[in-house]
Amino acid sequence: MKKTRKPTPEERVRELYPAFDADSAVACFVTYLDLADPLKKTENVILFTSKELIAWRDGREAKREPMENLARVSLGRGVGCCWVEYTRKSDGETVLLTRADNAQQPRLGKDIKRINRFLRQGVITQEESDGDTEGKICPKCQKPYPRGSHVCPHCASKSRAIRRLLGMASAEWWRIALSVLLFFASTGVSILIPMINRDMVDLYIQNTEAEASTAFLLGFLGVILSLLLANILRRVIAMARGHLLAVAGNNLVLRLRDMVFRKIQELSIAKISARTSGDLMKHVNGDTQEIKRFLVDHVPNMIEQVLLLVGISVLMFGYDPLMAALILIPMPLVALCFRFFWRFMHSMFRKRWNVNSQGSAVLHDIFSGIRVVKSYGMEKREEARFVGIAAQEKDLQLRIERFWAVLMPILQFFMGFGEFVLLYYVGTQMLAGQMTAGEMSQFSSYTSMIFGPLMALMRFPRMFMHMMVSLTRVYDIIDENVDVADGHEQDLARIDGYIDINHISFGYTEGEDVLSDVDLHVKPGEFIGLVGRSGVGKSTLINLVMRMYDVEEGSICIDGVDVRNISQESLRRQMGVVLQETFLFTGSIWQNLTYAKPNATREEVVQAAKMAGAHEFIVRLPDGYNTYVGERGHTLSGGERQRIAIARALLHDPRILILDEATSALDTQTEKLIQDALASLSSGRTTIAIAHRLSTLRNATRLVVLDEGRVAEVGTHDELMAKEGIYYGLVMAQREMTKMS
Amino acid sequence: MRPPMGMGDRGRGGPHRGPGGPDRGPARTLSELSVTVWLTPENATFYIKNDFLHIKTETYEGRAHLCREFPFELEWEFISVMNEEQAEVGIIKSVSLFEGAGEELLRTELRRRYYAPVIDKILGVKERYGFSYWRVHTAEGNVNFTLHDTYRSIIRASHNRVVLLDVNGNRFEIPDVQALDRKSYKKIELYL
Repeated sequence: MKKTRKPTPEERVRELYPAFDADSAVACFVTYLDLADPLKKTENVILFTSKELIAWRDGREAKREPMENLARVSLGRGVGCCWVEYTRKSDGETVLLTRADNAQQPRLGKDIKRINRFLRQGVITQEESDGDTEGKICPKCQKPYPRGSHVCPHCASKSRAIRRLLGMASAEWWRIALSVLLFFASTGVSILIPMINRDMVDLYIQNTEAEASTAFLLGFLGVILSLLLANILRRVIAMARGHLLAVAGNNLVLRLRDMVFRKIQELSIAKISARTSGDLMKHVNGDTQEIKRFLVDHVPNMIEQVLLLVGISVLMFGYDPLMAALILIPMPLVALCFRFFWRFMHSMFRKRWNVNSQGSAVLHDIFSGIRVVKSYGMEKREEARFVGIAAQEKDLQLRIERFWAVLMPILQFFMGFGEFVLLYYVGTQMLAGQMTAGEMSQFSSYTSMIFGPLMALMRFPRMFMHMMVSLTRVYDIIDENVDVADGHEQDLARIDGYIDINHISFGYTEGEDVLSDVDLHVKPGEFIGLVGRSGVGKSTLINLVMRMYDVEEGSICIDGVDVRNISQESLRRQMGVVLQETFLFTGSIWQNLTYAKPNATREEVVQAAKMAGAHEFIVRLPDGYNTYVGERGHTLSGGERQRIAIARALLHDPRILILDEATSALDTQTEKLIQDALASLSSGRTTIAIAHRLSTLRNATRLVVLDEGRVAEVGTHDELMAKEGIYYGLVMAQREMTKMS
Repeated sequence: MRPPMGMGDRGRGGPHRGPGGPDRGPARTLSELSVTVWLTPENATFYIKNDFLHIKTETYEGRAHLCREFPFELEWEFISVMNEEQAEVGIIKSVSLFEGAGEELLRTELRRRYYAPVIDKILGVKERYGFSYWRVHTAEGNVNFTLHDTYRSIIRASHNRVVLLDVNGNRFEIPDVQALDRKSYKKIELYL
């Protein structure tokens, strides 16, 4: 929710608390929801200093608490709102401090994080730059950025954007320059044709005085031929221009697509997951296409139309200003009329588009779930659902067509009305002997040619806006900061496999740490099993080790080097990952196996497949290693895909191996096979494995139990069982389950 | 930043929850989970402590988090009461069972937790660059907010009830779009 300009929290605190000392302030914020009355607005000013917490409600002090009595401060989330609460050390009670709407949640999250850090460590950390709005709202116009973007389309300089685009098009400059010249030529020819027509009528057809001599006939033939030539010339120019622009446009689109694609590949998982894969595809394909269409279709068309309009106007005004005025003056009126009409049509079209896409969604839903529909005998109901939408679409379409059928002729009549006025004027001129029939035909041609540019001019702003949206989105990606950037990177030629996780904290959203103060040291060749309930942060820890994200506090070192200082390429080259959901690219099994090592020999690949227990089932397939898998390919079972993934990792020969629920989807027998495959995979490498099925981790040298984002227990299976802690509880629960099954 | 597989940050996803985080507390068996406790004035008492709603039953006393089971259809019925650990204490079939002060407490708490100003008039909608900018009138006065991906941000909760989710995860509600004045209705009609 946007509010009018209010004093900043700090200014407000100063008003209420003259003794305010910015240096001792840990955090201060202002919220506007009443604590008790859900619908009332109250101004809550909150100040945390190094000594105490003070809260003012509507300008009056409402709470005061010494900081040493605070155990922690936390953020609760409602629906459309949130609240801040704190827990007292003295009595263990949790107290509501303030409520706020959701717009303030990110800012409050950051503040709370800082307060808790102070409560833990006693140090005031600097406020990060403008936590409230950073990355979400344009500081200039206060409007939000498009999702996952940091460029404000409202404030981005349009001329700069266009200049940049032209800069990108500079490699094509001679094609573009040549086509602009051709535009002039084609406009010239377009204007010339009615002139030749005029001469043909006046000098030959209407010429009753001339004799039908050979010279006359030859002249007549000459006019016809020049008309033919002009027409041919116009087509040839159009062809040449089309060709030039198509080449220039497609080259540009290729360059843009490559830039966008390369940039997306460089971005971290965090930045990429802020956008959906549909969004990304839209950027790479749709937006670049939109830019191309604008540059290759709309801009040239626009140039041509404007030239035509200017050319015709100049000619007509030069010949007879009154006649030109008669034709041109009603134009803005027609344009307005058309605009109004278009608005109306637009809303109808939009409604139809809406219903239409709903219809498609319903169809998609029914067809992809056809087995469920059939097995529940719901064909009739689904039919009714579809027919309902289809009928709605029919009604709308009917309305549109009826409207179109009635209104369009009326509109066209008005658009053509100028011609009647012209006819009257020209007729009187002709009767008075001041204009010839040829001139009349010339000017009526011009009159009909003037509508094209006019319509184009009206459509242009909309097209420009579409293009600008695409352009800002494309720039947005190209200009995105690489957040997991390679800094003073170091290439680690061969990793030994030491992993040191030094007191790290990390959260995806502000104020919510998924991992806090995790400390773990792994030696080369160790097999670490990560255990814990779901949502406890196991996968997050693995993502951090792989540097899909950067830690906020603490550090992760590999062979003693901070991962932020290792080039990502050399880091990931030496890491192998087998995930729960195995993703196989569209292509053959061979291509999937050699994905990480394209130059692998056939012997190596077969050896890896054998070690992963995949060789035999692959050979049994009719197409062997050439079997096509992926979306439209041969369907492999979960276990088979998993074994291919393991073979792929084996071939990759990583120094650090990461297994994230690699066997959870398999039956016990297949799991046994894969267990053995994993054992051969993990020997001699540092391995971190996550598994819910604890038996999978029996090869682990150490088990690390995570709980509430912290390391709760560390030890071997036997040690942890003897301890009878969390791990013991998990093992017992699973045994119970195995007994049941 | 968002978790890789997480729901959006637009306030649509997941049950609202207290600071405790997801799925904590002791693991329970399915037979424990499948027991439904219906809360009535006879077996449960609600009271306010430290500005928070608390509940007292035979087995539990402490903070109570209220969740609407059918937030789009039933505002005051089928209310699930969660404890601090996000485990269900019981279900209130209808808040009206707790006549008087108890009912008032529950209604207030639900309104506090589900914060969605009611739109009574749409003053203007402007669309630009994939956003729509709304100027509306609510009981709290005129409010401006922004929707991203307008079609998907306007949820048809029931036939006539509409919920709008803005870019900040705030919610706005129109209990009956048909009851809006003609001008306001025209403005939202396109998106329905």
